[in-house]
Amino acid sequence: MGFHHGLSAEAYDRQYTNKALVKRIVDYFKPHKTRLIFVAIVVILQGFTGSIPYLLVSKVLDEGAAAHPNDRILAILVGAVILIEVLGYVFFYIQQRIMARVTADVYRSLATDAFAASMEQDLAFHDKLSSGRIVSRITGDTEDFITLIRLTMSVLSSLMQSIIVAIILLRTEWRLALMLFIFVPIVIGMVTGYRKVARRVTTHGMRAMANVNATVKETISGISVAKNFRQEESIYADFQHSNKTSYEVNVKRGFVLSIVFPTMRTLSGISIALLVYFGALSVSQRLITAGAWYLVLLSSERFLMPILSMTSYWAQVQTGFAAAERIFALIDAEHTVVQTNNLPAQTLHGDIVFENIHFSYGVGAEVLENFNLHIKPGENLAIVGHTGAGKSSIARLISRFYEFQEGKILIDGTDIREFDIDSLRQQMGVVTQVPFLFEGTVEENIRFAQPDITREEILALAHEIGDGEWLETLTNGLDTNVGERGAKISMGQRQLVALMRVLARKPAIFILDEATASIDPFTETQIQHALNLILSQSTSVLIAHRLSTVKSADRIIVLDHGGIIEEGTHDTLLEKGGTYAELYNTYFRHQSLEYVEEAGKFLK
Amino acid sequence: MNHTSEFNIPFRYKTNRSSPVLWILSHVRHHWFIFLVAAIGAIGNATLAGVPAVQFGKVFEALTTGEGGKQIFLQCAAIVAISQITRGFLQFQRNFGFEVTAQRIERDTRDEFYTSLLGKSMTFHALQSVGDLMARASNDIREVNYIFSPGINMVFGSMNFLFIPLIIGGRIHPALLLTPIAFIIAYFLAVIYYLRVLQPVTSKVRSSFGIMNSRIAEDMDGIETVKAAAQEQAEIDLFRKNIKTFRDASVKQGDIEARFLPMLLLALAMGFGLLHALYLARLGEITLANVITYYSALSMLLFPTNTSVMAYSRISLGLASARRLLAIMNTENNLDQNEHGYAQAIKGDVSFRNVSFSYDGKVNNLKDISLEAKAGQTIAVVGQTGSGKTSLIRLINRTYDPQEGHIFIDGVDLKDWRLDTLRSQISIIEQDIFLFSKSIADNIAFGKPGATQEEIEEAARKAQAADFIEELPDGYNTVIGERGATLSGGQRQRIALARAFLTDPRILILDDSTSAIDSQTEDEIQKAIKTASEGRTTFIVTHRLSQIRWADLIIVLRQGRISEIGTHHELMERSRAYRRIFSEDKQS
Repeated sequence: MGFHHGLSAEAYDRQYTNKALVKRIVDYFKPHKTRLIFVAIVVILQGFTGSIPYLLVSKVLDEGAAAHPNDRILAILVGAVILIEVLGYVFFYIQQRIMARVTADVYRSLATDAFAASMEQDLAFHDKLSSGRIVSRITGDTEDFITLIRLTMSVLSSLMQSIIVAIILLRTEWRLALMLFIFVPIVIGMVTGYRKVARRVTTHGMRAMANVNATVKETISGISVAKNFRQEESIYADFQHSNKTSYEVNVKRGFVLSIVFPTMRTLSGISIALLVYFGALSVSQRLITAGAWYLVLLSSERFLMPILSMTSYWAQVQTGFAAAERIFALIDAEHTVVQTNNLPAQTLHGDIVFENIHFSYGVGAEVLENFNLHIKPGENLAIVGHTGAGKSSIARLISRFYEFQEGKILIDGTDIREFDIDSLRQQMGVVTQVPFLFEGTVEENIRFAQPDITREEILALAHEIGDGEWLETLTNGLDTNVGERGAKISMGQRQLVALMRVLARKPAIFILDEATASIDPFTETQIQHALNLILSQSTSVLIAHRLSTVKSADRIIVLDHGGIIEEGTHDTLLEKGGTYAELYNTYFRHQSLEYVEEAGKFLK
Repeated sequence: MNHTSEFNIPFRYKTNRSSPVLWILSHVRHHWFIFLVAAIGAIGNATLAGVPAVQFGKVFEALTTGEGGKQIFLQCAAIVAISQITRGFLQFQRNFGFEVTAQRIERDTRDEFYTSLLGKSMTFHALQSVGDLMARASNDIREVNYIFSPGINMVFGSMNFLFIPLIIGGRIHPALLLTPIAFIIAYFLAVIYYLRVLQPVTSKVRSSFGIMNSRIAEDMDGIETVKAAAQEQAEIDLFRKNIKTFRDASVKQGDIEARFLPMLLLALAMGFGLLHALYLARLGEITLANVITYYSALSMLLFPTNTSVMAYSRISLGLASARRLLAIMNTENNLDQNEHGYAQAIKGDVSFRNVSFSYDGKVNNLKDISLEAKAGQTIAVVGQTGSGKTSLIRLINRTYDPQEGHIFIDGVDLKDWRLDTLRSQISIIEQDIFLFSKSIADNIAFGKPGATQEEIEEAARKAQAADFIEELPDGYNTVIGERGATLSGGQRQRIALARAFLTDPRILILDDSTSAIDSQTEDEIQKAIKTASEGRTTFIVTHRLSQIRWADLIIVLRQGRISEIGTHHELMERSRAYRRIFSEDKQS
């Protein structure tokens, strides 16, 4: 029920002024100017078709009560009532149809602008705002805003009717009308007070419910374990307790919510009784006709109802404005990564230079400080270091996901800022730490970065990895549906698909942020094979977590607090016995075959 | 065969589970009193709603004939006031009465659902998705609640409001029944037609929104991938396409909603009712005051017009939910408990002979599996996801029965064992370790509620968990979970091991698919697993080379079949793929 809207609305700190917001909102409605003007006219007309029938009915009664009622006039009057009602319906129909289009189109343009803006935004933005919240702004907040528009329309419509009814009432018998109007502030006061109480009860109830729901969830997920340990009774006791609490909280809430309409009913009943009495007195004093008395009774109900719905309107306005603001904040957010030119990046060799780079993610400490690095074309570079040493940053700066504060990055001698970013990225292949797959087939996912690759070419590439054996372990080969986020295939298979994407693209620069998850040894071998294929073809930057990756690099750099402290191959670095050796002992030793052999001491 | 539930708490009262309607009725029968109170409130509310119409007529009569005077006015006004105030109470009685009924039925159906779940076998739970069950227990049960409030509340309420004008009109003059009856018929026809036309359109709106929304979510989650592939524009184009479909469907829905006839029907009904009543009045069969009463009574038809579409659909949604709930409650796949079966202490010899198994009866997850494991051995099971590892280990504790072949423990077929004895001596530690939002001590002692603190700490020590537990602020009393401390995968694994230690199983099954990030944690987990596998037959599903290398028996599964089985040395000799795993150069 519209009345209960906004009972659980959260607070939101406003950044835009009301004026600025209204202006932005109006911009989205400008293309629909003509439609809206038409609707405005229709709404005004509806005000009349909604209220004039009452007037006519009262006239009917007066005529009918006359000494010699004129049947013709009676028939005409009632006929007019029917016609006007039909006309009113026609207006309603027109208004609904137009508003359906206007709201759908405004929703569409708002949501499209919001989505496009979020796509163009850089990663710094996406770090700040979780993906769930962005999605909720694009569809949820837009929905809230449109609801506000719809509600506004219906409120304006009812308001129009109320105003016209009020005018008719005043002109009929102003004393009675005033008596009715007095009820308005009483009703509004009551309802506002009630909403405060209801909000408090609801918020409190929601918190309690959150706890209860969590417990119910847990007791259900835990049934398997409980059965494993034969602890069904104790888990049942937990469940019963929270089920009971849930009941109590809900009944309390139900009590509060059940009161409002009956109270309105009582109040309006009293007001009608008063109108009956005083109205009748007026008639007997020849101040008004009997028909007019009935008119007041008929229209009083019609008058009060819109007032009631207005009270929930204000809360919805708050919600709607807050929603609009979040959408505009999304659209207006500034980009931090800005290109100065758009040179094409067709045939890169993959020569990468970092010159005196200073970089920090936001308001934190510098992640890279006066950083220098030269990667030669075709070189395979592995980066190791403790968490937070700056490894991922290097990769992300090359793919231009973030903007650095000072220094220069040169690709094949050209400043990275001068490239057309899309054409630059097309020369790169990136595999993220958690490979991301879209819902669809394996083939569709491999094709994602290289839309014009043929199925034969994909199959040929697939066979280069361990004779394509990995395809046979998929239920349907290339046509296997991977499910949401790739859930229907294993972690290892997801990584293979991600690597296949890169192979399909044959990029000049390859960036790998290695996954840390555990994968079965057979797939692991295949992944290594795929990796080696890529390494032989591209300049590679590898953030390594696997020993085999580190060992296959041409050069290893050790990062600490944003600077390179050691450099060399695996063997030379181990010999040095410095930070690399320490890292090896902590993170890589247990991956080595020596460790596997030594484990026999534990296990035998 | 005598099936008994594994664990049985019968629900507090008897319910009829043969159909959704009967089931819900059996719950209503248990709460008949409050339901009756609510119903009386509804009837009273509607009846009193008709009082003003009658009083208006009386006053009008007095006004036009000049008889009565102030007396009548006061009397009628008082009756209006008192009736409406009483009506307020009755309306509350109706609203709150149905609300309480709804909440009680929600509470009781959830309880019944839960006890039915508890009584189901491990087979059932292994097959069910937990997310699914939770959706049933929260969403579907909530829909059942809504059947009563607002559902029946509104439907019953509006039924009454349809009746009263009939009664009032009929008492004035039988011919006046014409308009309300015609309205009711036309109204129902209009609603049925409307719903039929609307349903496919709202369905399309929901599905096109779902498609659009899930792609947006994917784009946001995978923004790095999208940007790296330079596919932003392609995704924007796709979005435009999706939202156009959604927009068109929304407009179509709006157009249908604009055609909502009942409002027009009501206006027409009131108009023609007025005409008819006037006609009768001019003929002298009724008075003008009667016309007023009749006209005012007709306006009661507004309530049903406004509310019923939503209310009916609520009830139908609720019944659909009830059907889903019953489907789960009525499933039976309890394995035969075999109360009089073999019930000895397990030594630990396990063998499979030509075992084939399928979850859904169509695709075989395991094909022709044969293996022999001796008591105390450690067996490593290796393979990709989907190769059948999980199915294999679940057959050992008889979570499922194989379709073909036999499994023996200590030479006795699993089907001949007493199920309870069998299960109590086998422990499975799953890949996704479930711990309760309780203290660590409570979690460790879960399988042995009377365990002493010493026993708990001893188990923790053996599981190499004691060190990190003692470093936590509250030690063994630290509460874990959403409202407590978060533990890493390795820590959870060790707590699960400690939990298993306390129950001292003869056969331990460990799904060890986590990886340690650092060598020290790796050492501890190795030690813990070693301690755990001492003296008991242990099946480890693992990726760890060290577990594979040193296992007594290695089983490699590939697409449901055993592709290799033997010791490490045997496999090194026989299998090229196996050798590759243990070589430095992964490409030979």
